[in-house]
Amino acid sequence: MTDPLVTVDDLEKYYYENDTLLDRLTGAEREAVRAVDGVSFEVREGETLGVVGESGCGKSTLAETLMRLREPTGGSVTFDGDPVFDLSGTDMNAFRRRAQVMFQDPFSSLDPRMTAGEIITEPLAIHGVGTSGERRERAETLLDEVGLSADQIDRYPHEFSGGQRQRIGFARALAIDPEFIVLDEPVSALDVSVQAQVLNLLADMQAERDLTYLFIAHDLSVVRHISDRVAVMYLGEIVEIGPTEEIFEDPKHPYTKALLESVPRADTDERDRTVETIRGDVPSPRNPPSGCSFRTRCPELIQPPGLDLPQATFRGISEFRTRIENGDIDVDLRWEQVGDPDREDREAFVDSLREEAFDTELPDAEEETVSEAIRALADGDRETAAATLRERYRSPCEAIDPGLPAGEHPSACLLNEQPEDVETAREEWEADYEAPEAGASSR
Amino acid sequence: MISPRTLRNLRSELSRSLLAKLGIAILAVILFTAVFAPLLAPHDPTEQDLDNANIPPLGFTATENQTTSQMVDGEVQIVEEEVVVNTTVAHPLGTDSLGRDVLSRTMFGARTSLLVGLFGTSIAVVLGVTVGITAGYYGGRIDDALMRFADVMLAFPSLVLAIALIGLWGQASLRIPDPLVELGIASSEMPSDIVLPGTVIAVVALVNWVWFARVARGEALSVRDQEYVKAARSMGGSDLHVILRHVLPNSLTPILVLATIQVAAIILLESSLSFLGFSGAQLSWGFDIAQGRDYLSSSWWIATVPGLAIVAAVVGINLIGDWLRDALDPGIEGQGGAP
Repeated sequence: MTDPLVTVDDLEKYYYENDTLLDRLTGAEREAVRAVDGVSFEVREGETLGVVGESGCGKSTLAETLMRLREPTGGSVTFDGDPVFDLSGTDMNAFRRRAQVMFQDPFSSLDPRMTAGEIITEPLAIHGVGTSGERRERAETLLDEVGLSADQIDRYPHEFSGGQRQRIGFARALAIDPEFIVLDEPVSALDVSVQAQVLNLLADMQAERDLTYLFIAHDLSVVRHISDRVAVMYLGEIVEIGPTEEIFEDPKHPYTKALLESVPRADTDERDRTVETIRGDVPSPRNPPSGCSFRTRCPELIQPPGLDLPQATFRGISEFRTRIENGDIDVDLRWEQVGDPDREDREAFVDSLREEAFDTELPDAEEETVSEAIRALADGDRETAAATLRERYRSPCEAIDPGLPAGEHPSACLLNEQPEDVETAREEWEADYEAPEAGASSR
Repeated sequence: MISPRTLRNLRSELSRSLLAKLGIAILAVILFTAVFAPLLAPHDPTEQDLDNANIPPLGFTATENQTTSQMVDGEVQIVEEEVVVNTTVAHPLGTDSLGRDVLSRTMFGARTSLLVGLFGTSIAVVLGVTVGITAGYYGGRIDDALMRFADVMLAFPSLVLAIALIGLWGQASLRIPDPLVELGIASSEMPSDIVLPGTVIAVVALVNWVWFARVARGEALSVRDQEYVKAARSMGGSDLHVILRHVLPNSLTPILVLATIQVAAIILLESSLSFLGFSGAQLSWGFDIAQGRDYLSSSWWIATVPGLAIVAAVVGINLIGDWLRDALDPGIEGQGGAP
């Protein structure tokens, strides 16, 4: 195992809303958007670490904070032993030379008023490397190396295609001989055929120059192609990290499994495969779920001790509970549908809502608990209804925030191996949990 | 900052655009006239000749009511008659109500207008762009402070503000001896000084910089979020580098177009100030229009000739602005960028 070149430790980047002077004067509560929420990993020398995740999971913010293009709100980044966020003056300059970024957008990442040559030599000009003649020569060499021709040096970005522009962006990142390059979705805006060319170029240059990459993407196949290791991000956190083949062949986190499932495969079996995509939307990073942030969409929600329902049933009840807790069920409207203005026929109400919420039979004990909750709801007592369900169906996933243990292939899920403090917390929680008899609270 | 590439673009756009050539021609004529006015003008523009007042331009006729008193049979008779005023080659564009040559006055008037227009706009651009780009690039408190101040400036009617400032500072102007007269190249009868109306220049700049600040701020705001700005910062580029190398060049096109419009607006503002008598300039298009206004019904040319000069200058400058815009924006396909 080689040494880490970049070590990210508990990096946090929160954005605050309602944080203007006026808001503070009026006492409005400032709201944190947790774009990056405590991320730790390391990038080893010479490797490519891929970072994948859905849009809005904080990948790009991670990259920009790591490069100190944004100031972090917590945590640290160490580059070759130097704390990046504490650097200044010449040390900071050295970091800016040794680490470069290649951006996603082939259109806005190149200044439209600069020629290809000026763009590529910009880092050299900033750091005062060479004379302008030498810099131009270097730009010509680089253009050749990235698969363009040296006589295109005086062209403007708009005269190039998307793939060619990304090559220029890459040449710019290479110009000052960096050791570490952050590739922020470098091919996601390109056609598939061009993607492959650019990916091969990236791989070739890495081999030739011993580069270390942090490769950010949302396309799994692209990441698999180029990465040595992969980190999977969800809602500002890393949920699983490990060697590429292990991640793809033996994913441990339910989110990773679901992500891999959602990729269509070219296979004859594909016809009959029901693609189990992830349900629902990514929760807002303004108000992330308690405990495990994936639990609201997780297909492998852990049941409390003593309960062993089919996963679909447990999830159905959990979702029903969430609806009650969030006040998404309109009791008045339901009574109207039942057609009982005096609100006396509770059993009709129970049947009506029960039918709407669950399309399958429930085991007797669950049927009883659910009905009891609905009865409470019929009386307009939302609190009791929610409490009845919560008592029996609360999951450790909502109480305990899983962590990322040490090791080659850790995952932040209570189903898998967890750090000691998380295991302890879970034991305490389970000791605390007393499975109530079905419908116990009514008697 | 002007690369050979840019020059090539300028040239190719110029060869393509007839209007650009026209604009350059118009401005060249006006500039040439302004510089060599003492050599070109047929008369001293300030010389009065009451016997030859209100002469119309060549090719036009004008009549004048003349009142004469005659002694007829020992009685005084007042006779009113219409007299035809003859045009004369000596005054091809006629004379004004004091008999001053309109052509000469318009030629000399170009000096004031162009000086105020060019200096005033330059100062306004420098001031406005500095403030606007600083505000837009840094944002936050700096932006709030600068732009609220700009809003306050904007809230004053420009003419009122200008008059107030002139009232405050007085009409300072700089008299520069005209080298053409000084060296004896031009006739010594011509006015011996070029008047640089300092206060007016400062005032028109102060009144107009806000427009540049607003446009520059808007541009800087959109440019600073571009990835190439992020890229420059990730390479270690300082704020100054980013502003000068990326934000400024990419904000310049609308500023340039605005500048051409503002040159025209400033020439008009100077004319208004002269018209109202606040600029202290005695030789300016605006001043002549003010003088001629009283005679519009009888001697239309006194105000019309300098008015046409203003129109020509404004149109010429705007055409040049269009040319620059097309040539300097390589992103606009087929408009002036290389194929």
